[in-house]
Amino acid sequence: MSFVSKPRSFKASIGALTFGPGPSAVTIGGGGTLPLHFFDAKPDAPPRLPKVGVEVADTGFAAEGLPLLAACYDGAATLAERVRRAASLDGADFVCLRFEGADPGGVDRPVEECVALAKEALDASPLPVAIAGCKNVEKDTALFTALAEALQGRNVLFLSAREEDYKQIGAAAALAYGHKVGAESAVDINLAKQLNVLMTQLGVPKESIAMNVGGAAAGYGFEYVASTMDRVRAAALEQEDAMLQMPIVTLVSQEAWAVKESIASAEDVPEWGELEQRAIQMEAVTAAACLASGSDAVVLRHPVTVGKIAALIKALGV
Amino acid sequence: MARFITIGERIHCISPSIRDAMENRKPEPILKRAKEQLDAGATYLDVNIGPAESSGEEIMKWAVTLIQGACDNAPLCFDTSNRKAIEAGISVYNRAKGKPVINSADAGDRISNIDLAAANDAIVLALCSKSGISADNDERMAHCQEMLERALSLGMEAEDVWFDPLFLVIKGMQDKQLEVLEFVRQCSEMGLKTTGGLSNVSNGMPKDIRPVIDSAMVAMAMMNGLSSAICNPCDLRLMQTIKSCDVIRNNYLYADSYLEF
Repeated sequence: MSFVSKPRSFKASIGALTFGPGPSAVTIGGGGTLPLHFFDAKPDAPPRLPKVGVEVADTGFAAEGLPLLAACYDGAATLAERVRRAASLDGADFVCLRFEGADPGGVDRPVEECVALAKEALDASPLPVAIAGCKNVEKDTALFTALAEALQGRNVLFLSAREEDYKQIGAAAALAYGHKVGAESAVDINLAKQLNVLMTQLGVPKESIAMNVGGAAAGYGFEYVASTMDRVRAAALEQEDAMLQMPIVTLVSQEAWAVKESIASAEDVPEWGELEQRAIQMEAVTAAACLASGSDAVVLRHPVTVGKIAALIKALGV
Repeated sequence: MARFITIGERIHCISPSIRDAMENRKPEPILKRAKEQLDAGATYLDVNIGPAESSGEEIMKWAVTLIQGACDNAPLCFDTSNRKAIEAGISVYNRAKGKPVINSADAGDRISNIDLAAANDAIVLALCSKSGISADNDERMAHCQEMLERALSLGMEAEDVWFDPLFLVIKGMQDKQLEVLEFVRQCSEMGLKTTGGLSNVSNGMPKDIRPVIDSAMVAMAMMNGLSSAICNPCDLRLMQTIKSCDVIRNNYLYADSYLEF
């Protein structure tokens, strides 16, 4: 008996969020199939492939034991130059600029300095830019508010607004200056939905909201991430829940580069082999798992991972 | 499971203002009730024009165009014994938000409304009775099977036939209530969709009691798998109960604001 394809189709679809200025803008989401089931896309609606973002931190990355990563940014003295390099990587759809240095517990870079850096970085980037903060609620609120004004008209995606600061960030970034906002929850599906409701009630249009539902490196509680994303996508498509139809952005690099497999040197753990290949695998495996669970965009750090994941998406999307 | 489907019952020619609006083609009273019900959370709007023997086709076309035009193509339920009026309504109906629903067929004189649904790719409400109220669940099930077979033989999908056990008034038929609920369970165990005129159960009760009884009934019926009801979405208690039951049945994801939308 020959194989008969039975497309799984839904009446509902995931919202499309576009960020970046004018012709260089990128759109995430917009699909109507289960994750990676591009073959189920309706003939009149071509599959919407997930997008790949490249993470660049204002502080740069420690590159000890990571010669490939170091080579990618070798000689790039400024943040703007590093952003340019990241944007030129094969497979990059956007750049995710992360102000780790803003953290009051770390470098504590003043807001004005971050704003100046961000402006230079955006001028340097041929690709759309998403901006992430330092995870300190107070500082991120001040930073995003200032950036939203300074980057007016640049259509930036801010990652992210949380339960504690969605009002300020939603109002400043989306309502006042027309930017896009990610709503961040930490693997809590009810809160993910509630944040979308609250942002919508604030007046932020649905198509200006993305979801960052949290993440975990593979092997570090990833099953909770997977089940959360599965449930979000099922509610969005099967139950046609409009408050969960926002596209999902996952900051994979933040998780994948924080676990011992991506940090411990070959000298410390010789039986694990060389560090860089190990770290690349960790990031690639985590990213692929996120895509299979429903991420519409993943943010990655290593140039090799960016290439691998972009190739995976392209191969499946044909 | 999909979310519970609420069919708003308030555009009904038994109401003097609606009857007058239909007869004299006055948009305001109809649109007011349409918007109220949609704002309150109705999925479908029932449009009951009565038998409307003389001008049913015109009235239905007018009402469909009026309501869908003003309410973002809200899906509608055609409620009349005038077949031609249903056909006329469907001819101008926009399916963007859902198939039209024909209200209703039964296993007796109105069985051909199933044919009408099949011919028009519509959903049909199938009342599990023939002439009068079924004596017991065996009879209800026999009617259900007959209508299901007819629908399937005409090429319809089972999910487009919503079986109505016929909810019975508590004042007078209190002893029959559990039987009706049991029938809802039998249908849902067979994978069939169910609906019914929920407000029947509280008919004749004081105004302040009706929301309480309707809410209790819908909760018990949803426990048994009821997938839809024709009811009053402007009854806040009822809608809160439906939304809560949808959350408990895992038909709808909980969020702290779940009652608000």
